Amino acid sequence: MKARFLVAAVLAAMLAVAATTASGGTSKGQADKIVVWLMVDAQSGWPEAVATANRNFKAQHPGVDVDVQYQSWGNHLQKLDAGLAGGDAPDVIELGNSEMTKYMAAGAFKTLTQSAFPNNKTWLKGLKTSCQYNGKLYGVPYYAGARAVIYRKDQYKGAGIKSTPKSLAQFIADGKKLMKKYGKDSGYSAVYFPGKYWYAAMSFVYDYGGQIAVRTGGKWKGTLNSPQAIAALNQVNVIAKTLTKASRTTDEANPQQSLVFSKGKVGSFIGNGWEWPYALDEKLGNPSLANVVGAYPMPSHTPGKFMPSFLGGSRRSRAAPRRARSRKRATSPTRRHSSPTTPRTRSWRRSHEPRSTAGSSPRAPTGRTWRMQTCCKTCSSRSSPVAHR
Amino acid sequence: MASVAESEFPLASRRRRRFTRQRLGRALAPYALLAPAATAIGVILGYPLYLLVKMSFEKYGLFELIRHKGRWIGLANYTHILHDAEFWRVLARTVVFTAVTVTLTMVLGTAVALLLLQVSRWLRVAITTGLVLVWSVPVIVAVDIWRWMVDYEFGVANWTLTKLHIGNFIRHDWFANPWTGFGVITALIVWGAIPFITITVYAGLAQVPQELLEAAAIDGARPWAVFREVTLPLLMPIFVILTSLSIIWDFQVFQQIWVMLDFRPTNDYYTMAIYAFHQSFQISEYGLGAAIAVVMVLFMFGATLVYLRQMLRTGEVQ
Repeated sequence: MKARFLVAAVLAAMLAVAATTASGGTSKGQADKIVVWLMVDAQSGWPEAVATANRNFKAQHPGVDVDVQYQSWGNHLQKLDAGLAGGDAPDVIELGNSEMTKYMAAGAFKTLTQSAFPNNKTWLKGLKTSCQYNGKLYGVPYYAGARAVIYRKDQYKGAGIKSTPKSLAQFIADGKKLMKKYGKDSGYSAVYFPGKYWYAAMSFVYDYGGQIAVRTGGKWKGTLNSPQAIAALNQVNVIAKTLTKASRTTDEANPQQSLVFSKGKVGSFIGNGWEWPYALDEKLGNPSLANVVGAYPMPSHTPGKFMPSFLGGSRRSRAAPRRARSRKRATSPTRRHSSPTTPRTRSWRRSHEPRSTAGSSPRAPTGRTWRMQTCCKTCSSRSSPVAHR
Repeated sequence: MASVAESEFPLASRRRRRFTRQRLGRALAPYALLAPAATAIGVILGYPLYLLVKMSFEKYGLFELIRHKGRWIGLANYTHILHDAEFWRVLARTVVFTAVTVTLTMVLGTAVALLLLQVSRWLRVAITTGLVLVWSVPVIVAVDIWRWMVDYEFGVANWTLTKLHIGNFIRHDWFANPWTGFGVITALIVWGAIPFITITVYAGLAQVPQELLEAAAIDGARPWAVFREVTLPLLMPIFVILTSLSIIWDFQVFQQIWVMLDFRPTNDYYTMAIYAFHQSFQISEYGLGAAIAVVMVLFMFGATLVYLRQMLRTGEVQ
């Protein structure tokens, strides 16, 4: 709930910045409308936050309309490209953290000043980094969730596993125990891990010190063939071969892994916070699992440490279509407006802070944190359950 | 008529003038009638095609897209493609895929059409209804149905094959191996294309004069010889048109593969259309994508040429 207020504050701040330069399709220098692209998650998850932000914005900028258009993850980049090509891009857009870089590099967005935004000191590092290119800021963190292992407490107990694993070797050994106990059912997976689930696989690579690509002499070079990356992917292969019955050619969203989990033949899966309640959904999932589902951070191959998590996140950017603009609107009301949410923000920050340094010292998520994250859906997994394409 | 015209000069002159105006009008009428269609085609097809060709000579990535201005780089996109091993793999795959699907479609489609001639009336109605139903299923719906049938976990294909003791197909992943994956995709496309071929060939078969077939049979020709020596030559124009249309359709197949593989096929499944889409819209190299599309258009132009020639020839006969 509290996170929603923060979302509303971010939305409001972003709108205000947009209004300072928006041209709204006219070159008169007077914006009468700003176009905002949000993902469908906002429409289904926190419509009241969007409405609040719009109401506040309109109160501060009379005569300027906010046109919120909801997009789906499957094709929003193609639509954005078409919009950019036609000179009709939105004024504010939401992008997944893995989608951001190429647009920043191509100069699609205006640079922003961090201090103009509320709560700018508490931005999640992982998200903030994905908003920056060559030291300049182009976006504002919107929401995020880190992936962890979501598991069946009853099955772990049944297989004689006393505590959650503290190393990758232990994780795999525990998986084998689960397979021994429940694997008589040929459909049982100790770890549901589809072959194309690269968000999870990349955590292994970074845990072993590998990287997707490195930049040398101004050129990017793929490094998934480095010894570290290969060692890591071999561990993924062990899981794929011995602990899972998931298809090797599908991904975590087809079918939705949390729904596969809810059918009962899965001991654990690596999922985002919001996937937990989705598994318990009354219509699609299985609410009776509520008391036997738990979560723990994915353990590292170095005993006692945790794997870095692939952050599923979203940020909002001020698109910079090359059009005439001269509108200046005061930014100070933005700050004033958002200040009432600060106390709430603090509690949000406390519960989310472990995520901000997930790479080095994450803390096991508490139940409270996880509940909070139900409205912090992931973006980069392209997995809005109702709409792809 | 000529002598009358000469003797009654004033009347003839008036008549001639009228003739000229009429003749002029008659000569211009076809062009006037064609003009709207030609303009529409020019605007809807010609201009984008011009832009596509222009873009294929430009460096046109996201950076250029935002600035609405490509940078002329001559043939660089084309040389890049021609030196790219991936392009040749995709081209070879697409050509083989097209050859297999078109052959299967034509042979099976014709076989069903010949079958329709032999069966009883109600069975013919039943088969035709089935064909029309298949034809009327929208592509995306058809792909989803097929995807369910070959589903990894719950697919009826795996269940049936296991029940028939053909092997253990429980949790068999048809798309783990590109050969079986393309087998499924080929089956889907052939299944979807047969109705059009069958119905068209059947209509053609109905036009073959019965007495020719009877005469051939009386002369002792076996059914296969009758088909090869009498039916096939008579239906040749239809076959040529159907084959060239099928080549055009199958060469640019996109949706079936795209949807079947959850909108992110691995590069084992790239055909030309998917490769062009990937270059353009997924990695934002619009110039390269355009060049691939131009090569594709040129390839299909070959097939279209045969089709057009046959159409014109058929027109002349009529």
